[in-house]
Amino acid sequence: MNEKRRRLQMLTSQTQWLILISPGILLLVFFFVLPMVKLLQMSFMEYDRLTLYKVVFTWENYGKFFGDPYFIEMIFNSLKVGFYTTFFSLLIGYHVAYYLTRIRGIERTILTAAFLLPIFVTILVTTLGWYIIFLPFGIIQNLLQFLGLHEGPLRWIQNISVLVAVLTHLHIPYVVLILVASIQDVSQEKLDAAKILGASTFHVFQKVVIPLTVPGIVSAGILTFTDSISSYLVPALITGHKISLMPLSIFSYTSELMNWPFASAIAILLLVITFVITYGVIVLTNRMIGRGKWEMV
Amino acid sequence: MKGWIPFKIMIYVIMVMMIAPILTCLPVALTTTGYMTFPPVGFTLKWFYMAFVDNVLMTTLFRSFNLAILSSLGSVAIALFSCFAIERSQFPGKNMIETFFTGPRIIPQIIFVLGLMILYELMGLSDTFAGLFFSHLIIAMPFAFRTLLSNVISLDRRLEWSAQILGANNVQTFFRITLPQMKTGMIAAFIFTFVLSFNNVTMALFLSGVGKRTLPVEMFQRLMVGGITPSIPAISFALAVFGLVLFIVADKLVGVYRYMAG
Repeated sequence: MNEKRRRLQMLTSQTQWLILISPGILLLVFFFVLPMVKLLQMSFMEYDRLTLYKVVFTWENYGKFFGDPYFIEMIFNSLKVGFYTTFFSLLIGYHVAYYLTRIRGIERTILTAAFLLPIFVTILVTTLGWYIIFLPFGIIQNLLQFLGLHEGPLRWIQNISVLVAVLTHLHIPYVVLILVASIQDVSQEKLDAAKILGASTFHVFQKVVIPLTVPGIVSAGILTFTDSISSYLVPALITGHKISLMPLSIFSYTSELMNWPFASAIAILLLVITFVITYGVIVLTNRMIGRGKWEMV
Repeated sequence: MKGWIPFKIMIYVIMVMMIAPILTCLPVALTTTGYMTFPPVGFTLKWFYMAFVDNVLMTTLFRSFNLAILSSLGSVAIALFSCFAIERSQFPGKNMIETFFTGPRIIPQIIFVLGLMILYELMGLSDTFAGLFFSHLIIAMPFAFRTLLSNVISLDRRLEWSAQILGANNVQTFFRITLPQMKTGMIAAFIFTFVLSFNNVTMALFLSGVGKRTLPVEMFQRLMVGGITPSIPAISFALAVFGLVLFIVADKLVGVYRYMAG
């Protein structure tokens, strides 16, 4: 009798948890799993001018993508933008983060506010600022004219370097955020130990701080790479369609050309590329530093 | 320390470059001309007023605000239930469920939104507020989940047990003992999901219909079309000030590094 009651009690407590978790599970199944399944299905369908798509199974979309050198170049452009942005964001972000962990008081508050503010402001505000700076008759041009270095209207700079510069600028706050948390976790005792054993400040940085913050660097890098390779807004506003990039193509095939099956195929390929690189980096660093797993951002 | 001063100067130069684009909006908004120019001509607050009486801008601002409040409240509530269910019960595959809950944030938004668009077309949710709401809910929920889960794990269970020994029932214990301990975490989750939703452009760009844009999408469209008046830099500057206020509140209440980096 007692045994039966206890089992009933356990059952009700399990049902209770099941009820609590069900809104989350339902939300994820309907608005996360289902869209991704639909996207994969759509990438194998055939484009139709009248009904948007025909329900068939075809590899045609992928064939079209790999059969055209334009799209192959697009992959390389996107990868280039992703890699350069990640490299420069980490390079600058690490220095900033290291400095932020070495200062105290009001200086730290002000610098933190300046470096993290962009996270709290919509990216359009920042991009608008860049737009004003680079626009013909914008700040750069006025400055050059004032210094007598340039006369007349400047050609609007729309190349890959400007795109990488703007994307780097946008990602530095996130990199700083993750790396400050990571550098703070390095215990003072380890640094003191290295110093007592005779290491210079630079050596401590190189041999102790950097190796211990590799997980932070990797997660900041993955975040920046995933985000910049799939960024649509910044390329659309800064370079327009001068450079072919995968997100730009996804948007124009979806909203302008209404070819959803092909847009889905590009999206799936972008996802595969991102996952393969992310996974590769994680496996590689795990092997290199011989540590356990860490949480991905 | 040798080399410290040049390093310090470099950091300050980077800092100026970080906030320069945001600050640029202010002088440009103060010009008396009808187009954006730098340096500004004269001084007027006209464009702030023009942005304020611009019906489209204000409607979209109101819509963005509603959407952000609703989706952050919703995501914090759902995440809170789920965290308790996962942390307080025993079942096989717990780790997998945890990973599943943080899943949406590793999918790039431009890919995710295309999937949602196809689904909405089938479900009849295209261009609706409800569709937009669910899209914001699903991208905000993982962030709320991560913040709250670490909070639930660190709760002191002994306080709850003491309350129950002293005669409190489950509901009383939850509202009087457990929830107050989670105040900071919940505020943090609320602020960060609000920011995430309020500033989101990609989701809204694909999913909001022509007459139902959010503020960032409206700004994006005007920038793309070109020929914008200085009322856009004016509202941008207002948004930057709003962002700064949110940052200060978040930092004072919970500390940004502690809660956002996880």
